[in-house]
Amino acid sequence: MSSSRRLPVYLLIDTSGSMRGEPVESVNVGLRALQTSLRQNPYAIETVHLSITTFDSLIKDVLPLTALEDVVMPEIVCPNSGATLLGEALAHLLARVNVELRHSTPEHKGDWAPLLFIMTDGKPTDTLAYSEVAPRVRAFPFGSVIACAAGPKADPAGLRTLTDKVVSLDTMDSAAFTAFFQWVSSTVTSGSMSVGAATSLSLPPPPPEINVVL
Amino acid sequence: MTSIVTLKASDGSQIRFVDERKASGGLKDVFFSPDRDYVVAFYRDKMDVVGRERLALITGTYRERIFNQEGGDYLKKLFVWPTATVEYDNRTGVVVPFFDKDFFFRYGSRDDDRLLGIRNREKEGKWFASAKNRAKFLDPRELGDGMTQLKTCLMIARAVRRLHTAGLAHSDLSYKNVLLDPSSGRACLIDLDGLVVPGKFPPDVAGTPDFFAPEVVATAKLDRHDPQRFLPSRLTDQHALAVLIYMNLLFRHPLKGDKVHDMNDTQRDEDLAMGERALFIEHPADPSNRVRLAGVSPAELPWKDTAKLPYTITGPYLSSLIQDAFIDGLHRPDSRPTADQWESALVKTMDLLQPCQNPNCLQKWFVFDNSTKPRCPHCGTPFRGKLPILNLYSSYREGNFRPDNHRLMVYSGQSVFSWHANRLVFPNERLSSAQAKRVGYFVQHGGEWYFVNETLPGLRDVRNNLAVPPGGKVKLEDGAQLLFSEENGGRLCAVQMAGQ
Repeated sequence: MSSSRRLPVYLLIDTSGSMRGEPVESVNVGLRALQTSLRQNPYAIETVHLSITTFDSLIKDVLPLTALEDVVMPEIVCPNSGATLLGEALAHLLARVNVELRHSTPEHKGDWAPLLFIMTDGKPTDTLAYSEVAPRVRAFPFGSVIACAAGPKADPAGLRTLTDKVVSLDTMDSAAFTAFFQWVSSTVTSGSMSVGAATSLSLPPPPPEINVVL
Repeated sequence: MTSIVTLKASDGSQIRFVDERKASGGLKDVFFSPDRDYVVAFYRDKMDVVGRERLALITGTYRERIFNQEGGDYLKKLFVWPTATVEYDNRTGVVVPFFDKDFFFRYGSRDDDRLLGIRNREKEGKWFASAKNRAKFLDPRELGDGMTQLKTCLMIARAVRRLHTAGLAHSDLSYKNVLLDPSSGRACLIDLDGLVVPGKFPPDVAGTPDFFAPEVVATAKLDRHDPQRFLPSRLTDQHALAVLIYMNLLFRHPLKGDKVHDMNDTQRDEDLAMGERALFIEHPADPSNRVRLAGVSPAELPWKDTAKLPYTITGPYLSSLIQDAFIDGLHRPDSRPTADQWESALVKTMDLLQPCQNPNCLQKWFVFDNSTKPRCPHCGTPFRGKLPILNLYSSYREGNFRPDNHRLMVYSGQSVFSWHANRLVFPNERLSSAQAKRVGYFVQHGGEWYFVNETLPGLRDVRNNLAVPPGGKVKLEDGAQLLFSEENGGRLCAVQMAGQ
């Protein structure tokens, strides 16, 4: 195995019915901008591996964990309506990370602690599954878990059971999503640059459109 | 809409910037002047009195001390130095010149920059220091060759040496804070507002991963006032400088091998590998941290193959410093080579370069390996033909010359300069323009090599006891001796023939 460690980055994106229209188009634009800006960073392009999973009534791995240089960004689509199975999606993702994460062996170096970004515009409809999985997400040795509550119907407080790092977008227009994905990019970039630093990953200052929920 | 803010700076000048954040770093937000000739970088955190005092000294006294002396104009190419401070909206900012155009990608990535879209972006040093980034992503025209890469390292060493001789330490030397232009052999230190003045201003950043000195990593968890804690200093700069030079000549990290120290905790593994158990990947006696080729991607070869391209391809002068930095001095900061030593070794290594005779060789140049049958380590092409080598000697007592451990390789277009002809001249920022002119050159004619004297008034062919006036030439034969000058410090060279 390679002597260079990977930095796995998992994106979990809400595609429930309420995301249809401008919100999901903005997410698609934002994801492309994210890819472009990560590729322009010499640290990120060496280490970052990207995965995208969407969730509504179904959970889909639209991009398996792929080296940044090889990523072909999928087009994300939304069904007309549907549930928000965030709990199941998280359980699915944890199972995947457990399999995909390379651990160190005497012969090769394992991955950096993975980053997880969650974006949702509503509340989970599978509340039982969600309440079961939330503590497992907290306990998992992620480098960082960042949840984004997009739009007025999202529930920043509920997301705080997953992580202390919750940001909220007041609006669901393209400017807000663009700003969010730029911020994801700088977080991943500073993550790829500071992996190996003896201090923990610190977030860059959010753009003005984003409110960090404290 | 964005507006333009006009301020009066600490030095009385008028400063204008567009009120739109263009970039943000760890501590600062950056704004551009309307004409993009300078930037204003505001600290996000409120600056205390000590911080302001430090900035005042950096933009004032220290700046003048470096730039208002002999060689100051030359040094302006090596530093992007903050010129003034400003106060706006309760925040303190520094005014910094815009980077020279050489430090923005002209071509960018491969495939006419369609691969990454980095044209016109800053040439952050990381792009060039990684074998994979070079082989897979960057346009080959951005990479430079064996000679310009060496020159780039020389510029870094020279800039750091100048800081250190002024009693300053950079404290965060890394490829983030050194812009490189390997295509022309330029380098430039940036982010100088965090300079450390030993005993006066402590460092405010811990440094950058990959460049932390092992003792800094090993004691990072201690309180910053703990006397056992190592903070950035001139000695940790010396470690970072060694890493920068190694990475920009060999395109791999000197400590990042495949030894695993902790199987369960990646962070602890990394802390040990870069800290208390740091081990050179090419340590001659302990091979446990070698790079395992089985896991290396093709794009990282041949540079990650330390058996094929060991550090010794950098030649004797640099090899000896690499040993001091990563074998003897890795855990003994006092044994680390100084920036001045690196600068001298790089200057001497430039004279050991030989053009590769393979027109398709990517590196184009290689350092002479002291053998009678030299071959390019990059493409394997052996040297064909006569290869004269000039060994330089200096006199410290009338009529007696002793070796300087300095050799000059001869090839078409190679020149002799005043710093070869006289040991009292050293090529650095203090060189006068008259001293920077060549004094003679080499030419091949009819299968023989000649040295053509242009301006040396006292050149003598010692064995034949002949004066060679300017305009004259001497044939280079095995055992020939040339006295460049009879003045104080004048050197003698003895010719050896290699190749055939």
